[in-house]
Amino acid sequence: MAKAALLRSHRMAYVTLKNVKKIYPGKVVAVQDFNLEIRDKEFVVLVGPSGCGKSTTLRMIAGLEDITEGDLFIGEERMNDVAPKDRDIAMVFQNYALYPHMTVYENMAFALKLRRAPKAEIDKKVREAAEILDITSYLDRKPKALSGGQRQRVAIGRAIVREPQVFLMDEPLSNLDAKLRNQMRAEIIKLRHRIDTTFVYVTHDQTEAMTLGDRIVIMKDGFIQQIGTPQEVFNHPANVFVAGFIGSPQMNLFDAQLRKDDEKYFVEVAGASFALSERIAAKLRRDSEGEVIVGIRPEHIRICAQEGDDTMSAAVEVSEMMGSEIHLHLRAQDKEIVLRVNTTELPEAYRAGIPYGTQLHFTFPGDLLHLFDKESQKNLIGE
Amino acid sequence: MIQRKNAAGRIHLLVARVVVYTILIFLSALCLFSFYLLIVNASRSNAQLQAGFSLLPQGNFFTNLKNAWNDASINIPRGVLNSFLVAGLTAVLTTYFSALTAYGIHAYTFRGKKAVFTCIMAVMMIPPQVSAVGFVQLMTKLGMTNSFLPLILPGIAAPVVFFYMKQYLESVLPMEIVEAARCDGSSEFSTFNRIVLPIMKPALAVQLIFSFVASWNNYFIPALLLDKAEMKTVPIMIAQLRSADYSKFDMGKVYMFILLAILPVLIVYIFLSRSIIKGVTAGSVKG
Ligand SMILES: Nc1ncnc2c1ncn2[C@@H]1O[C@H](COP(=O)(O)OP(=O)(O)OP(=O)(O)O)[C@@H](O)[C@H]1O
Ligand SMILES: [Mg+2]
Repeated sequence: MAKAALLRSHRMAYVTLKNVKKIYPGKVVAVQDFNLEIRDKEFVVLVGPSGCGKSTTLRMIAGLEDITEGDLFIGEERMNDVAPKDRDIAMVFQNYALYPHMTVYENMAFALKLRRAPKAEIDKKVREAAEILDITSYLDRKPKALSGGQRQRVAIGRAIVREPQVFLMDEPLSNLDAKLRNQMRAEIIKLRHRIDTTFVYVTHDQTEAMTLGDRIVIMKDGFIQQIGTPQEVFNHPANVFVAGFIGSPQMNLFDAQLRKDDEKYFVEVAGASFALSERIAAKLRRDSEGEVIVGIRPEHIRICAQEGDDTMSAAVEVSEMMGSEIHLHLRAQDKEIVLRVNTTELPEAYRAGIPYGTQLHFTFPGDLLHLFDKESQKNLIGE
Repeated sequence: MIQRKNAAGRIHLLVARVVVYTILIFLSALCLFSFYLLIVNASRSNAQLQAGFSLLPQGNFFTNLKNAWNDASINIPRGVLNSFLVAGLTAVLTTYFSALTAYGIHAYTFRGKKAVFTCIMAVMMIPPQVSAVGFVQLMTKLGMTNSFLPLILPGIAAPVVFFYMKQYLESVLPMEIVEAARCDGSSEFSTFNRIVLPIMKPALAVQLIFSFVASWNNYFIPALLLDKAEMKTVPIMIAQLRSADYSKFDMGKVYMFILLAILPVLIVYIFLSRSIIKGVTAGSVKG
């Protein structure tokens, strides 16, 4: 027994997916070309819009869905044909999936009972987990007598008592209201430090992805778009999709022309011309002029007092006062541009919000621009 | 103005309630009336019964009880025990295996699932009387007359119960619960026994009652297969009392026996009806 425990703690819980493909009956291709190496004790978040194949991927790791092609390894072992019960994974479902006829205690103890763990050990582990999740006082209740947040804690508790190699979570917070969601997100971060195991977490919420993940996998239509740390995907989105998906409010994207003049590069958007910084110009992946997509994050646009060659002008359509910052939706001809401005940086008169129709001049700092190829949508700036 | 409207509404509601309750009380009375008549008849002597119909109980209750109990041609405790054994086991087998089959069809995707389902449904269309002749012949050839097995075992295949269970599962069992059990390390069979069955408790209770009663009242096939006195079930004994020759014929005794025979059914019903509670899955999954 002691030896088994020792072996267990030494097992490396990395998860490898190699060229994984999933075709559902009816020829629905849900996931393809999926390559990912999850390191031991890493927290990886799969994120993407609805229907992009996140849940499918997670369910393949869990063994709840057959893998059509490719290989899945947990540790050294190829898991394609191993039953879920033998994979040593725990999964938390979006809709909790608690056993309705069992009390909270029994729900959490179920897996350990199946393993024939001694009663005293079960009791100890269940109470420990309940303590961590602050559900000790509900241990004797049935799930139907709990609130959504409490049920979600029980579902997480049921997973942690098992001390699994890999922790899988499918949108565990999406049924909770905004406040509870923030609170539980913080709890998951804490939990992660306490139980220190490998996590794969699915969400469609980029904020959750950014705050929780060591690395984020962004998916669309069954394909991985980018894998990287929150910082990497934010600062260097691989393509237009990722650029628009990560960050809130989302990045402004415009059709633009790339011009080269005297060894300097300029992007021209709606009559204005912005010089690329030398740092960015040096990393440019192409030197030909032509059509590009330029991106700038709302918080990087700078308001100018005066009109000039390197400014655009637009009228305020909506001004959203968020407290410490204001989100401005401007309209220039047919384009909407979103700006995020710190309230403290605004003139006194504008701090409560900027009146409808106010004309603003603003510029894009050349060091904070993102450039994408118009055809391939790929990022034109090297890392 | 508003108050007058309210008052009108209240009267309207009152009238509606009175009508509804009257209808419901009438229907309940209709159902209970046959039970009442049975008790009345069980308290009348054969002569009184021959004389005609009465709504009032008479004083022969205990005489009838004594006569029925002491009738040499039938052994009431034995008959009740036999019936209980057959009906009880049939009910348990029918319910368990129908639930198991329903779960198999509900929870798994496999080749030919549709065909299997259609087949089971097709069996449902065949009236039991049609297959009974062949069944009885087969059992006779196998030397299985005067055995309870041919009465109990066929209960395993009960398409109607299966269909009921399948519909029930579709409405109460989200697959995530099964998947959660799988991840928790439960084998398929133990998931069924420890997770699915408890969730199906109300449906199980309903079908246990139905199949118990159906088997308890079953006369047709048992009468063809059982002829040893100590193997006879209650319906056979009742039929026997009714067809007794003129000198022994006593309708009061028959009614008394029928009354005794429905008591175990009532007990089973009271016992199981407690499990028929709604909303067992409430709170398990969001939605
Ligand atoms: N059982 C199934 N049979 C056929 N197609 C399916 C099945 N399950 C999912 N799909 C399809 O596979 C694709 C990916 O589904 P998946 O559930 O993985 O998406 P998701 O990224 O989890 O989306 P969401 O955020 O809405 O949960 C979708 O197009 C979906 O319609
Ligand atoms: Mg999903």
